[in-house]
Amino acid sequence: MSIRSLFPPGRLRTVFLPAVLLFGLMTGTHARADPSSGLVHDGVLDVCTNPTLPPMTFVPGADASDLAGVDIDVARAVAQAWGARMVLHSMDFVGLFPSLESGRCAIVISGVTRQPARERLFDAVSYLPTALVVVARAGTRPIGSLADLSGQMVVTQSGTSYAARLERENAALAAQGRAPIRIQQYPAEEQVVQQVLLGRAFAFVSQDVELGFRARQLHGKVAVILQPQDDNYRSFALYIRKNPTDRAALQAAIDHLDQTGALRAIADKWHIRAATALTQDLSTPPRFDVRAFALALLSVGFARAALVTLAIALLSHATAIALSMPMALALNRPGGVVRRAVGLYVALFRAVPTLLQLLFVWNALPQFFPVFRGDWFSPFLAAWIALSLNEAAYQVEINRAALGAIDPGQLVAGEALGLTRFEVYRHVLFPQALRVALPPTINEFINLLKTTSLASVISLQELMALTQIHVARTFEFTEYYAVALVYYVAMVCVLLLTQKRVERRFHWADRVKAGAHGG
Amino acid sequence: MVADPIISVRDLRKSYGTFEVLRGLSFDVARGERIAILGPSGSGKSTLIRCFNRIEPHDSGTLHIDGTVVDARCDLARLRAEVGIVFQNYNLFPHLSAVENCMLAPRLVRGMTRHAARDGAMRRLAQVGIAEQAAKYPIQLSGGQQQRVAIARALCMDPRVVLFDEPTAALDPEAVAGVAAIIDALARDGITTLCVTHEMGFARRIADRIVFMDDGQIMEIAPPETFFTSAVTERARAFLARMV
Repeated sequence: MSIRSLFPPGRLRTVFLPAVLLFGLMTGTHARADPSSGLVHDGVLDVCTNPTLPPMTFVPGADASDLAGVDIDVARAVAQAWGARMVLHSMDFVGLFPSLESGRCAIVISGVTRQPARERLFDAVSYLPTALVVVARAGTRPIGSLADLSGQMVVTQSGTSYAARLERENAALAAQGRAPIRIQQYPAEEQVVQQVLLGRAFAFVSQDVELGFRARQLHGKVAVILQPQDDNYRSFALYIRKNPTDRAALQAAIDHLDQTGALRAIADKWHIRAATALTQDLSTPPRFDVRAFALALLSVGFARAALVTLAIALLSHATAIALSMPMALALNRPGGVVRRAVGLYVALFRAVPTLLQLLFVWNALPQFFPVFRGDWFSPFLAAWIALSLNEAAYQVEINRAALGAIDPGQLVAGEALGLTRFEVYRHVLFPQALRVALPPTINEFINLLKTTSLASVISLQELMALTQIHVARTFEFTEYYAVALVYYVAMVCVLLLTQKRVERRFHWADRVKAGAHGG
Repeated sequence: MVADPIISVRDLRKSYGTFEVLRGLSFDVARGERIAILGPSGSGKSTLIRCFNRIEPHDSGTLHIDGTVVDARCDLARLRAEVGIVFQNYNLFPHLSAVENCMLAPRLVRGMTRHAARDGAMRRLAQVGIAEQAAKYPIQLSGGQQQRVAIARALCMDPRVVLFDEPTAALDPEAVAGVAAIIDALARDGITTLCVTHEMGFARRIADRIVFMDDGQIMEIAPPETFFTSAVTERARAFLARMV
């Protein structure tokens, strides 16, 4: 299936323009001295990849940090040729080029095809020939051209250039007065394939090598119905930031690997072959593999991913609550610059999508402040910062409402007893506000727990990221979806039980229940 | 006016914006004296007593309580331990039981242990006659019971002066008699009480002297028997005529 032929230039800009608009400038990339190792820093070659595209780049086993595939081998060979150590950065596909732009990695290699449009922004070096394929369910009659897809539903992976290619075809179809190809886009390749397996879509557009590799997983359930000639999809390429010296060095390294037969050996190792060699038939109906489900459910990998999900949600929410307290107090007091600043913060962070905030913190911060390019700035830390800032904006409103719900006489009564302002808040107002704030706060936390799945775009290995990696590896959709579902439901259930327990402490607010406890 | 006064007020003034609530008040209160402050709504009665523990700071004039000047520099914690207040709607802390309501300030302000604070609180609750309600939360108590807890809470700081803001506004006659008995008992212990009220019978019952206020000023100060039978000022007579 697909090589994700990278997004057209327009898509890249949608992510970065806000950054440019907000801050007004982009800092330049660092200067390089040694031409042979311009892409290597401190003996390390940083490589960004999205490991959901076998056989190019994927996770072969249960350990999500153990990547394999053609791309990984090629990158390793290049690093070795330069006497450098390869460090892989695994992330969501849409995060790849922003990470290259921000200098987090020197090379992107992730089954991306070479396209002129993309080369306007980045330098590319080809390393493997490939071809575009249109794939449908086994038994579908082959078609003569893309135009024959007129009126049909065709799926592609979002972030790839396939949709743009189909739109061009639609323009031609419209000129002839024919029905357009209906296009649906999904964020992950395995979801694209699933639409065809389910019969929801007629065909999908992809790249020959992946389909060849997938042949066994798919049990011959799909077949290539068209292999259109298109120069834009002839080869896979490594991408680097624009720099003629680096480009020449990379080209030389790839040429050397080609001449020594190393590239050939890598291709053979991963059984790269023409997709047309696929055999049909043997269509076994999909069954729920209980064993795969149970093994995944009990695996250390999923437990760890669930822990990451829970930890990032807990830490972010705790930080958000700490941040929101003084802001809520400021909002409940009249006038002033502080109050207006807090209002602006709340408006801004509620207006901007959480996904954008994550991408901004992870990819834009390092551009403005080089200090964020260091290894210490991990995806976990970035997600923590982004989600805390986002959540605090909502928590402020909850806290403000809770404090506002308390009788002003309580503050006066506390102070009249000689308590300091702080003691009144600590012992009188906060305990009462907590009762009002708790239910909406728990709601917020449950939302946040699920929002953490967005952090997969900045390569945080949380529950959904791991699920997608395993689905891409095995094509066992339901099994791994079920594992994620069980984990999320379990976490939320524990949370709701905790809420019940805590709310029991608020019996003072209920005459009947207070009687049962107070006596 | 009074020899060795515990409270001494001279030309006390306070405004909310352009509206002058207190327009130059002066009077003294003797130790252990029981004062009832009468007057129409909006005459500044509540504001006046709230100046005494500085939950409402006054703008000008001088205010001495037990020899201490009450102003921006005074020790608020000490002043408020000296001058307790019982609010019209009690303002009990709903998340704390009756005894915990009484323990909070002694523990935080006086630094008493939980044990000592509980002993003191139970003694005060017994003094106002509701020791058996100690474990209940405010929501479970009647208005009169809440009033007594509020009084006990103020007494736990061992004040020399206790201010009452409309203590009988929401009470039935029996509870009113109970509050009057408590104020009598406080006077026997040498505690000075100032009580803002609308209720003539109650004022006559508990006061050594009546302070009659109107329009932010003191119109008349007199013992109850004099005030209720032969008030001097026109306004006081008009007020009494309306109330009876």
